[in-house]
Amino acid sequence: MAAPDTETLFTNVRILDGTGQMPYAGSVRVRGKRIVAVGRSAGGVSAGDARVVDAAGATLMPGMTEAHTHFSWNDAASLAGIQTMPLEEHVLWSAQVARRYLEAGFTSCLGAACAKPRLDVVIRNAIESGQIPGPRYLAASQEITVPGGLGDEMLPHLPFPEFSFGVVVNGAEDLRKVTRMFLKYGCDSIKLNLSGDNFVPGADAKTTWMTDAEVAACAEEVRMRGKRIIVHARSCASVKQALRHGIRLIYHASFTDTEALDMLEAARDEVFVAPGIGILYALLNEAEPWGVDRAKAVAMGYEEEWAAACESLKAMHRRGVRVLPGGDYGFAFNPHLQNARDLELFVKYLGFTPMEAIRACTLYGGQVMMRPHELGLVKEGYLADLLLLDGDPLANLSILREPKRILAVMKDGVFAKRPPVAQARTWERAA
Amino acid sequence: MADVHFTNVRIFDGGGETPFQGEVLVQGNRITRVVKTGYGVRSAPVAGAQVIDGAGAFMMPGMVEAHTHFSWNDQPSLESIQRMPPEEHILWCAEVAKRYLDMGWTSCVGAATAKPRLDVVIRNAINDGTIVGPRYLAASQEITVPGGLGDTTAPHLPQPEFAFGAVVSGAEEMRRCVRMFCKYGVDSLKINLSGESITGMPSEMSQFTEEEIRVCVEEAKAWGKRVAAHARSTWSIKQCVKLGIEVIYHASFADEEALDLLEANKFHHFVAPGLAWLINTSHHASAWGLTPEVTRKMGYHRELEAAIESMKAMRRRGIRILPGGDYGFAWTPHGTNAKDLEYFVKFIGMSPMEALLSATAWGGPMMKMGKQLGYIREGCLADILLIDGDPLADITVLQDKARILAVMKDGEFHRAPPVRQTRTTRWAA
Repeated sequence: MAAPDTETLFTNVRILDGTGQMPYAGSVRVRGKRIVAVGRSAGGVSAGDARVVDAAGATLMPGMTEAHTHFSWNDAASLAGIQTMPLEEHVLWSAQVARRYLEAGFTSCLGAACAKPRLDVVIRNAIESGQIPGPRYLAASQEITVPGGLGDEMLPHLPFPEFSFGVVVNGAEDLRKVTRMFLKYGCDSIKLNLSGDNFVPGADAKTTWMTDAEVAACAEEVRMRGKRIIVHARSCASVKQALRHGIRLIYHASFTDTEALDMLEAARDEVFVAPGIGILYALLNEAEPWGVDRAKAVAMGYEEEWAAACESLKAMHRRGVRVLPGGDYGFAFNPHLQNARDLELFVKYLGFTPMEAIRACTLYGGQVMMRPHELGLVKEGYLADLLLLDGDPLANLSILREPKRILAVMKDGVFAKRPPVAQARTWERAA
Repeated sequence: MADVHFTNVRIFDGGGETPFQGEVLVQGNRITRVVKTGYGVRSAPVAGAQVIDGAGAFMMPGMVEAHTHFSWNDQPSLESIQRMPPEEHILWCAEVAKRYLDMGWTSCVGAATAKPRLDVVIRNAINDGTIVGPRYLAASQEITVPGGLGDTTAPHLPQPEFAFGAVVSGAEEMRRCVRMFCKYGVDSLKINLSGESITGMPSEMSQFTEEEIRVCVEEAKAWGKRVAAHARSTWSIKQCVKLGIEVIYHASFADEEALDLLEANKFHHFVAPGLAWLINTSHHASAWGLTPEVTRKMGYHRELEAAIESMKAMRRRGIRILPGGDYGFAWTPHGTNAKDLEYFVKFIGMSPMEALLSATAWGGPMMKMGKQLGYIREGCLADILLIDGDPLADITVLQDKARILAVMKDGEFHRAPPVRQTRTTRWAA
């Protein structure tokens, strides 16, 4: 762990504060882990004892939030390829991915499911205790599914739970029990697979799998302990089911109808949607090296889902539903650290302006992390989670996924990635 | 990796001669040039190499820890090591591996792991760059017998998951166990041949039948693996020599016959006594309820005296004695391992030079890397330390992280030497 950088003054920065207002020139002072001053001109904030970072006009923006993160997905091409990684390697992999997300500018990540029961919890704890570097993290459970649903990777001749990607339950009491187990382990979120997914055979994206009694049992337990349910819900029926049960973080939501959209709009002050648009795009357009060419992708249903998702998400955006980037990075065809591409896809296909896309991963990020009063903005009193960017993301969002353009990353007032400095030519040992 | 040219350093090259003033060039992962110079004289820099003016600092080969337990978690009992969940345990091991490298141990020989795969996974993760750590040889769990050292199961909790070691009984169970660890990819098998007083089974007592030990060695050798033994008792030391167990840990109670056997086979064995455990358990564990009265009753004071006598005798006979051992308990925390060198000087009569050689020159063969490791010589692997001070004058400087100015492993700085910084920070345009 780096020692806390007690005081840092960024001068000569272009501040993109996350609220949606246009960037302005200024300086930002960080003390301890918080932003203590934001000035609108170079002279507005005095240097004092602070270490000064003269940014020469670089953009300073809030650290990004990834709303649907799977540290334990290991860039394999299948669920089985993720699942068969041994436990010890899986922990070290997750730790490494956490560090890379932070260095790539994601200072907050919301765990959307992990591949073995305790991976997310352990990584979150290790980050919080300072043992490993990583973003702020909310830990998820494994995916909870039903026999035959998305995440049940057991083969008929190998019916052992250790072979399953998700936890397979059957019946409301089963669901209650497994929910309690994950809450005991310390999860922040319980993940339910309400719908199927075109990625797996026999449970396509338009299918809906859980009974209301099952979902209700989970919801009751989760509420009792003050935690959150998050759902994989691609089908229209699963989106409505989630809303009916008061579930406030919906992943995917590809298929909707007017009723579903009305329900979403009615709950728009509480609901977040993170579509994970990147994986749909990748499977439809870029997965040929992994055996999914265009024809196969179409046969799997991805063309239809892509079209439906674009319509649904455009409509949600129009209706003021908060749609957030992030999702399902960690597959071979949709690898980790390309996550910021979601912002470009939002602009290109979902009718977002670049500013709206930025706001979705900053302002809304603080909200989805459940810390709207102190996270997601460049603002006095807020936590110093900051990115220093070489360039203007409003003009070119793709710089957000270029390591070289991300000059510095700060989390909690400490640099996770230090700004490059002009180095002294000679090396001398300090006497 | 950039080439590095060290100038103005005092070089202890691992050969046993007095250090000399000189320069060292590292290209790739090897030392490619070692030059003697007069004080202050500086040869022309090599094009493209980063030049580091050592300002007279002491340069020595990276140290080798001969008996390492990354998975011991600085707790006071085997039970509390064993009860750590596997996910936390692997992160702990990764953290400790880095700590060893921080402290100048560029190579470590795993002596046993607390769960079956921890050592193997850490070794692999170091080698593929997932984590940072020393060169590492991965060990198995401790293989023991029911009731022996490492069997932490309770009568009412007999599940193997509660056992610290792998508990076997009979030759065929031993064979199966060795095969399992070989399948997992260990470099060495650890077998507990003697007791350990703190566990209730005195150190002078021995365990296993000769047949079981023979099967362990035979099977390990069939897989090309090394065997290392926890061997405090007289009988167990002799078994190591008799059956060809290369690495002998502890060897406290060596009688004349054992010493003769060891001397006659001295290039076939390594002895790592792990004195830190005996010294600190005897005298510095009161905070954990182990007052000197308690540990005297356990027999540790007597064992410490015996071990010191045994090591003095082995030193006289030229048997290779290596530092390291059983750091990772509450009263022997990880990172303080260089105390072993101080103990060698203080208690068994080594000169500081001999103590340094025990951590360097003998480290190469201990790591199965011959003379590639443990020397500042042309052609050797660039595992290099820069020390502020002279360990030959004061061996304790190696215990102080601040005095270890730089650690290089395989030609790359793990800890670069501190440099004078300019005051203002600007990002390069």
